[in-house]
Amino acid sequence: MQQPKLKSKVRCTDRDIGEVTKVVLDPLSHEISHIVVSMNGSGERQVAMGHVLAVLDDLVELRAPSSDIAALPPFKRDDYVTTHEVEISHLEDNLHVMPGEVLVPFPALEKDVKRRTFFMNFTHVIGFLIGLPMAYPILRFLMKPMYMPFDNDWFKVGNVSKIKQDDIGVQFQYKKTVKEVYMPESEVEKSVWILKASPEVLDKVYQGKDQEFRDASGRVIWTNKKDFPYIAFSGKCPHLGCAFKWRQHKTLGQVFLCPCHLSIYDAAGKVLDGPAPRALDALPIRISANGEVEIVDMEFKAGVKNQIRII
Amino acid sequence: MKQPSISSAPSTAIEKIVAFIDTRVGLKEIQAKMLNEPVPGGSRWAYVFGSILLFIFAMQALTGALLMFYYVPTTDHAYASTQYIIHEVDYGWFLLGYHFWGSSAMVVCVIAHMSQVFLWGAYKPPRELLWLVGLALFGIVIGFGFTGYLLPWDQRAYWATTVGVEMVDKVPLLGDFLARFLKGGPTPGQMTLSRFFVIHVMILPAALMALAGLHLFLFRVAAPAGPFTGTPEEIKAKTDYFFPRQIWKDIVGMAAVFATICSLAFWEPVVLLEEATPDPGEYHPEPEWYFLFYFQLLRLKIFAGEFGQFLGAVALPVLFMILLIALPFFDKDPERNIFKRPIALISWIVLMAVMVVFTVSAVINREFLD
Repeated sequence: MQQPKLKSKVRCTDRDIGEVTKVVLDPLSHEISHIVVSMNGSGERQVAMGHVLAVLDDLVELRAPSSDIAALPPFKRDDYVTTHEVEISHLEDNLHVMPGEVLVPFPALEKDVKRRTFFMNFTHVIGFLIGLPMAYPILRFLMKPMYMPFDNDWFKVGNVSKIKQDDIGVQFQYKKTVKEVYMPESEVEKSVWILKASPEVLDKVYQGKDQEFRDASGRVIWTNKKDFPYIAFSGKCPHLGCAFKWRQHKTLGQVFLCPCHLSIYDAAGKVLDGPAPRALDALPIRISANGEVEIVDMEFKAGVKNQIRII
Repeated sequence: MKQPSISSAPSTAIEKIVAFIDTRVGLKEIQAKMLNEPVPGGSRWAYVFGSILLFIFAMQALTGALLMFYYVPTTDHAYASTQYIIHEVDYGWFLLGYHFWGSSAMVVCVIAHMSQVFLWGAYKPPRELLWLVGLALFGIVIGFGFTGYLLPWDQRAYWATTVGVEMVDKVPLLGDFLARFLKGGPTPGQMTLSRFFVIHVMILPAALMALAGLHLFLFRVAAPAGPFTGTPEEIKAKTDYFFPRQIWKDIVGMAAVFATICSLAFWEPVVLLEEATPDPGEYHPEPEWYFLFYFQLLRLKIFAGEFGQFLGAVALPVLFMILLIALPFFDKDPERNIFKRPIALISWIVLMAVMVVFTVSAVINREFLD
């Protein structure tokens, strides 16, 4: 059945009783549930769609006699809000009660415009051409600080006399002066683990080969000799970059343990347990005549099997 | 069409001003449309979380803007300026504490909101876009938590960021670029702080406001889903408008959240650790409590080694998000009753149980570290 239109005549089984003045919509089903009938000026009545027999173009036929409709209680306007005052989604898609289309004339200048699609695409192209030259400068602008040359300087981190026993991790904390781009120079605290290794541990670390360290261009800048008894481990855990400690473990004895994700390494830096993908990173180390330990403060990428230098 | 309910002759000065504006912008009609939204099946306490999230965001924006009056986003002043806010500025401890606990409340309410939508089956057609925009908002909230955590520049901040960015590094091929892009260099420093600051106070708020607006718009277009049981007649009989019953429940919820955040700010004030530096000393790095379960998860053996780390740090969260994004597109069964969707119910319970169990085990693990 089509929807009843406003202003349609309403006919009962016996006679015409007026016209449709309002329609009432069910907010959930979006169906018209009632029509409001004018009763030829003697008060409005609300008639459920169940009473409607047929809806023609400008006539609504009811299946009841006019006396039944007149006996209905008067329509109470205050029980309702208009569709302008309520939020009902897709209302317009479901409602066709208007007595006709409401039109607005097309401006004269718009009537014979050809190539509308061309103009639309042309607008997009111009917009794209404005954005395009911005993209690369923005990317380069943000990338500026990402890659820095490696720092190959030697740092004094403390005196070797601090180490009393073989194969025990000793933390050397030191202050490093950093100068980051435009910022004033500042000191940060860093730490490195140094141990005096027994021949067995040395062999586990170097596996019979000297270890070479390279600068960004791949040139060898230092070689740790395989029989040099001091080893420096970068303080950065090769798992996700936390800082590990030297700890007594219940079953594994004295180990390097990272408190973040519980990676455990032996004195030679080999992984005993936990999620770490590689052994601790040995750093270039040398000891001056008066016992000052010096290192090159390299850092390697965490979380990968191979050492990849990043600083 | 005459609208007697919204037009009456103005008498007082205020009524005249309102009438003046109303004739020009249709204020009362807009207000009526805002308030008169049918809530199928009637208002419920379960529906309060969306409004509460909007309220929490407004308060985060307010307290965040206030904190910026004193905060300085540089490595040499961030820590000192935050300490100044806490110890010297009148009520600085309160506004900072509110902002800090507000972020936790945000995460809790996001989880509650998403759970409600999931359990009610409200993500199903025709509300797919609403769900997708909601997921984007979830990502933004996580981004807020992660970037904001660095700003006080204490040890806690520094190490959470160090580990978090290392996780980004595990993305195949692009990881190194992305991690350096976020950090603005090979290691965390001034560039990282600047970037996180801009992301936290400019980019994410703008994105959140735009997407929250879109979320609300889509919600109004799609209309509320309503309860998952009941015949159309029963639902219709219980239907009411957004105002007053639902708004009443929403405002009570907001007041409860406000009181909770204030109490936490008062009894659990923010205490900074030592200033950030690449040596953590005796501090054991740990993320914010709502990331603890994931932190504990990454300790598992299956996430060991290079491939395991890719699984844990990248594949697992990405797969989870893909699953949530795809959810309304493969779950086309119109059944919304959670008690007739056993897989959905069990998945949700398992997920919540995993989060609780791993959070608790992370807390238990703490005492074995000292």
